[in-house]
Amino acid sequence: MDGDSRWFAALREILAAAHLWRPERLAAQVSAALEPVGLSSRIWLADYEQVTLRELPSAGAKPAEPLPIDSSLAGRAFARVRSLPAGDGHWYVPMVDATDRIGVMEFTGVPGAGEVERCELVAGLIGHLIATTTPRSDHLDVVRRSQPMSPASELLWRLLPPLTASSDSVVISAVVRPCYDVGGDGFDYVLDGSTAYLVIMDAVGRGLAAGLACAVALAAIRATRRAGGDLAEQARAADAALAEQFADVRFVTAVLAELDVDSGRLRYCNAGHPRPLVLRGGRSVRELTGGVRLPLGVASSAGVATSTEVAVEMLQPGDRLLLHTDGVTEARTAGGDRFGVGRLVDLVERHADAGLPAPETVRRLAHAIAEHQGSALADDATLMLVQWSGAAAARTVPVADRGNDA
Amino acid sequence: MNDDILVVRTEDAEARIVVLTASGELDRDTVKSLAVAADDALGRGRDRIVLDVGRVTFCDSSGLSLIVGLHRRAAASGGVLRVACAQGIVLTALQISNLDRLLYLDPTLEAALHAVRSGE
Repeated sequence: MDGDSRWFAALREILAAAHLWRPERLAAQVSAALEPVGLSSRIWLADYEQVTLRELPSAGAKPAEPLPIDSSLAGRAFARVRSLPAGDGHWYVPMVDATDRIGVMEFTGVPGAGEVERCELVAGLIGHLIATTTPRSDHLDVVRRSQPMSPASELLWRLLPPLTASSDSVVISAVVRPCYDVGGDGFDYVLDGSTAYLVIMDAVGRGLAAGLACAVALAAIRATRRAGGDLAEQARAADAALAEQFADVRFVTAVLAELDVDSGRLRYCNAGHPRPLVLRGGRSVRELTGGVRLPLGVASSAGVATSTEVAVEMLQPGDRLLLHTDGVTEARTAGGDRFGVGRLVDLVERHADAGLPAPETVRRLAHAIAEHQGSALADDATLMLVQWSGAAAARTVPVADRGNDA
Repeated sequence: MNDDILVVRTEDAEARIVVLTASGELDRDTVKSLAVAADDALGRGRDRIVLDVGRVTFCDSSGLSLIVGLHRRAAASGGVLRVACAQGIVLTALQISNLDRLLYLDPTLEAALHAVRSGE
């Protein structure tokens, strides 16, 4: 067989095995399938908090020590979504599901940079297959945990879409903290046609009670959106669902928005939530003050009529829209120093100007917030960054680093 | 931390009026003491409630939720809740959540008492 045929056979073997594969054998099977093309591989998955890459162990084998994302070559490949050489035919190749960063594949035996594109093809395939296998495997999920998860977090993570998604003109990336013990924070988005639908929310209280309120609001919003309801109707559906499900007052603050990615027209309503921010190329920061209404669930329960006014804002190409919950700006040190909007905006600008992919910008923001708080008791913190930019979207797609910007 | 507590004082005034004065941090860990005081007042038929939050130094969503619940319960029994002296971080929390549109806010205790006495 020639080289291409051997590669085709290797990909065919992986795909054929994927129908029946057992998650604990996945890493070894992939590596074995690559043997005929002279390669071997290891699979590293990012943990939930995106601090380390953890090896997907093969059955019986002891996994390697986790690799820190901030200070390892593998971590750099993950962070930049770029393949990086480690010498001696050794490469780290980012593994994504669409543009959601899952981890890194490590290849040995790569004869030259020309072969890296084929490794990227394999990593892309494995990324998709891991994403589709995870719902039927605890093994794949538990590898990504540095500690056990609370029931509220188990509920929340099954509700959320992937942290990152892009189309050719927009990228959406979010982060939720604390990963293993979150309360009622949540987010949602869809990219359909020329519209990006965006939701960020914060349900009152802590733990599973807050998570349930978040789940109810999110389900009501999705059901209404998918039935063709507009933003005001989605908010009212959440009001009604929360009032119906809970005897006490369970309100949820939220921003619901839709961005037309052809025109830049942003329509939004704000149900008692911190104001969205629009960042324009380091030159200006605008708080979006319109579209104000009561928190979701208050109106119906309090027996008052709610009007939902929808505000409109025109974005310019390259603008960044930042949605956040109050746990971000209210994060305090033990001494009481707030993280604040100023620090938040400053960090977004700095990371984005450095050409970092949007998911890496929000990852670093989450870590800056956690660092700021130290060991102080932390509220939930959720961030969603939306960049209306084809170039920003392209930075979330893996391509080989051919030595240009390493 | 010592300042993480909430102290609630209850003072009955004439007729169905009660003044609840809260001081300290009103959050998910402390909200119960206000809930207990409010339950007690409502249980004694005191449903014209003035909640003085002038000395509340912090208020999270659990605190806001309790206030909204109290607003609703007082209204349901034909009474009213007036929130007096909201300032600083408490006022900001009420404004950010847009609950200042729902709740009756008074700048001073006198204004709140005047409002409940005149049946507003």
